[in-house]
Amino acid sequence: MDDLRLLFVDDEEELVSAVVERLELRGIDGVGATSGDEALDHLREGSFDVVVLDIKMPGIGGLEVLRTINRRHPEVKVILMTGHGSAKDSEIGRRLGAVAYLEKPVDLEDLLMTVDQAVNPEGGGPDGA
Amino acid sequence: MGHDHRRPLQREGVLFFGDVIAGLSHELSNVFNIINEIAGLQEDIVGGAHPKGADAADRLSELAGRIKAQVERGETFNQFLHSLAHSVDDDDIAFDLGDTLDLAGSLAARPARLARVELVVHRPESPVTLVGDPFALLLTIFGLIGVVLDAADSERRVEVSAAPHGNGARLFVTSADPLPPGVVDEVAALETGRLTWGVVHTLDPQPPEAPRRIILDVPAVAPALKATTDEEGQEDPDGN
Repeated sequence: MDDLRLLFVDDEEELVSAVVERLELRGIDGVGATSGDEALDHLREGSFDVVVLDIKMPGIGGLEVLRTINRRHPEVKVILMTGHGSAKDSEIGRRLGAVAYLEKPVDLEDLLMTVDQAVNPEGGGPDGA
Repeated sequence: MGHDHRRPLQREGVLFFGDVIAGLSHELSNVFNIINEIAGLQEDIVGGAHPKGADAADRLSELAGRIKAQVERGETFNQFLHSLAHSVDDDDIAFDLGDTLDLAGSLAARPARLARVELVVHRPESPVTLVGDPFALLLTIFGLIGVVLDAADSERRVEVSAAPHGNGARLFVTSADPLPPGVVDEVAALETGRLTWGVVHTLDPQPPEAPRRIILDVPAVAPALKATTDEEGQEDPDGN
């Protein structure tokens, strides 16, 4: 996953900083955002391969960000995550075009596998799309 | 024997419990997720990854401090759960309004954060002792805060305060934004406070001027308590 650029979005700043650092230690260009607004700003300013997006956030929620990404950055793969998953969230997310849906706590290795499947769907596993 | 008072309280109470416990459960999950990631980062460093800036030992120590801070944060949420659970222990006790106000503010912190509203709660300057059901009053105050949070517009700041008033207390829930007309109906729908405490709501200023705060007059002793403990068993359908 060399040259991969990933935007990790969650309103918990401590979580974002730890995940981004762990991504960087694995050679991934990770960028963090703690709100939907900040995520959209990053997307306006630079290009990303994947966005990992928390659904429930203050202000613009994850599903709204996903809708905006679909309109403005359709090439970006979006992986949704939430603290307490519900079939409804998962279904809405998939209908809106999210490539995967993860429940927290997200194991980093699982996340990386899901990211790999998202950017390389031809070599991905069953849950990748 | 008090059933008229308790039925809405039970329904509102269960909804309130569900709402608040779901929120605190989310907060605790967030704490666990952060600890999980920081511990993972420590593993990465112990496993040979080279952190930026500091040497590994300093970095591990800094990360341990961040874990401790999260444990402290989690313990705070746990205390809120504990206080909430015990708020239903007794429906006929003397209690300090300031404690109930603090708990309502703590429980409303998450909805306020999600609504991006700054919520500030001021305890009364001196203790205000009330006698009755603290849970019913907690439910009422939380409901009022919720109504005002939902109505927040551009300023997004809500203050809650209280002071002794007559034999009881006067509570203020003030929004920096004008409250929309629908607030009157939403406040009226909060039955528990009216039925169990006989609270009286007033909007300030009065419509047609756009109100900015809800004033809640709370008696020192809950009249519903008087009614339900009346050995004559005289029913009072209005709860007054």
